[in-house]
Amino acid sequence: MNAWLVAATVLLVGLVPCGAVIVRGRIVEALVGLQMAGILQTVVLLLLAEGYHRPAFFDLALVLALLSLAGGLVFARMLERWV
Amino acid sequence: MSLSEVAVVFLLVVGVFVELACCLGVLLMDDAYDKLHYLGPAAIAGPLAIAGAVFVRHGFSEAGIKAFLTAALLILASPVLSHATARALYIRRRDHIEPRPRVRR
Repeated sequence: MNAWLVAATVLLVGLVPCGAVIVRGRIVEALVGLQMAGILQTVVLLLLAEGYHRPAFFDLALVLALLSLAGGLVFARMLERWV
Repeated sequence: MSLSEVAVVFLLVVGVFVELACCLGVLLMDDAYDKLHYLGPAAIAGPLAIAGAVFVRHGFSEAGIKAFLTAALLILASPVLSHATARALYIRRRDHIEPRPRVRR
């Protein structure tokens, strides 16, 4: 297990507070927790791609960063109008 | 241990510390506006440090360029998302976003 995989494993612990905010907080606070979890997962995917020596896996982090932006915007728009 | 390996480990530690500290901030702050402040460093400093570590290891290769593209995307997306979320929260609390019409005398 190299330093990249250790860092990815440690970062996965950060998903616990994000999950707690999503489950226990009000709905806009849950959106903030979701955005934080998206950032965290993107960084974890970067670290896993480097840790397993697979440069093609960096595409996953890139796509997740793009999709978490789109998802966050859709959720924010929905929260201000309908929910 | 070479100098580049020390730099990689240092950048990894900085990136992981920033991300975990921001997670704790999101958990511990009371208001959604306060929680929003912790998305900034998590989307800017953390990914930049991790992408920097990848770049120190690989230089201008496929991995280094993609890591920096990912960090750049997160850095560009962060203020947009924060603005959209704060706007949604403002509208939910005040029930309007436009300024109230001025009364002419």
